[in-house]
Amino acid sequence: MSSRAAHASVYDQVVLITHSYLGPAANRFIARQVTNHLHKAPGDLSPADLLNLTDWIRVAVSLLTEDSNIVEEYIAELQKLALSYEKRKR
Amino acid sequence: MAKLHENPLTKRPRARARHHEEHVEAEALFTSMGDGAITTDEFGKITRVNPAAQQILGYSEAELLDEWLPKKIIALSFDDSPINLIDRPITKTFLTGKPISAKMYYRRKDGEKIPVAINTSPIIVDGKPLGAIELFRDITLEQEVDRMKSEFISLASHQLRTPLSAIKTYTHMLAEGYMGKLNSSQKKSLNTIISASNRMNELISTLLNITRIESGTIAITLKMVHMVTIIEDVLPELIVMAQAKNITVTLDASDNARNRIKTDSLIVKEVVTNLVSNAIKYTPDGGTVAIIVQAQRSDIRVEVRDSGWGIPTYDQDQIFSKFFRGQNIVKRETSGTGLGLYLVKGLIDALGGKVWFTSEESVGTSFFFTLPRANQSKTPGDKEKAIFL
Repeated sequence: MSSRAAHASVYDQVVLITHSYLGPAANRFIARQVTNHLHKAPGDLSPADLLNLTDWIRVAVSLLTEDSNIVEEYIAELQKLALSYEKRKR
Repeated sequence: MAKLHENPLTKRPRARARHHEEHVEAEALFTSMGDGAITTDEFGKITRVNPAAQQILGYSEAELLDEWLPKKIIALSFDDSPINLIDRPITKTFLTGKPISAKMYYRRKDGEKIPVAINTSPIIVDGKPLGAIELFRDITLEQEVDRMKSEFISLASHQLRTPLSAIKTYTHMLAEGYMGKLNSSQKKSLNTIISASNRMNELISTLLNITRIESGTIAITLKMVHMVTIIEDVLPELIVMAQAKNITVTLDASDNARNRIKTDSLIVKEVVTNLVSNAIKYTPDGGTVAIIVQAQRSDIRVEVRDSGWGIPTYDQDQIFSKFFRGQNIVKRETSGTGLGLYLVKGLIDALGGKVWFTSEESVGTSFFFTLPRANQSKTPGDKEKAIFL
């Protein structure tokens, strides 16, 4: 697998997780977060970016819903994804 | 011998003292500032509120702390409808990663609706977002002054139109030779008068349109029209303007962009004329201006792309503000009122469309607008639609 494909798959997984919470807005939301906060093209999202991205997502989503349990559940899923990449690296 | 200030034993207390001083300074600044200031944590919960914010909102500090900001502080649009969460400046700050400025209304604790100007920024420490800060001020007085100014402009514009009509009529009659043949010097002078009166007429029309938009009285007549035809109608006059600077103007329309849309052709003509004339005006001699029309799923998109001087990054936030002119432009081009893009934004909003731009200094600018294919024009009573995500 090329590194480009691997990066794209990180992005796709983040969008997939996000879809359960934001529905059809997921792709655009994540693309904006990656572009605006990490200053990268969405396709260049790497496993190393995940925790930083999660921090930004937490704040953005917390302003869209008052239910901090949902936010935490969503963030936990993203952190789990970051951790799975971390484990693979080891 | 080591100097006292280098003594490791004294270093830490000094650093602590300095840190304390900085903390006290920041605290004093936060507390004493005239604008309302609220900070939130990463969950949007209010962590700090200064006295000005309490005074503007009518809530005590205890009533605000630990509350979820979007719920506790109700933001309203001019027609009393709540601002969608996605459209609130604090949310936009985190969606776009940029500081956001906006004007809207806040509902005070006693129910009163007050106009506020808001600036929000993320709080970032070591690259990690920890929350946000929102600064806001009550602009009731500013709004009243603005309303009076608009009334004055409207009245003055109407009064100016009457004598201007007479000037235009008689200068045209003179130019056409109805009052005798003119020599070349007289013709030249007359052309200058005609050109100046045309400019004044345009300015009055702009001011009147702005007043109508601001007062919500702009008349919109929706008809099925071809976007490309509208553009082709206004192009000849603009091409004359471009030729004077040796600028090439092109129109490129996709096949499906030739389908009809329901909109107000006069308003669209005003928008296109403004954008293309701006592009010509702010492009150096020999440059290019391209108009590209594309049909999209639910709307039609027009791009006016120039190879001009561009808009400096530090000016970009204000480009649609009233009377605003880019600093790099003021140096080069002295004429201009700073009303054109403000008007364009107001007109496109009124038609239910969107307008935005991308620009790079010394490379060029592209202004885009979209208009819905079906009739979705916005009346003052219409609710804002959340399409930010």
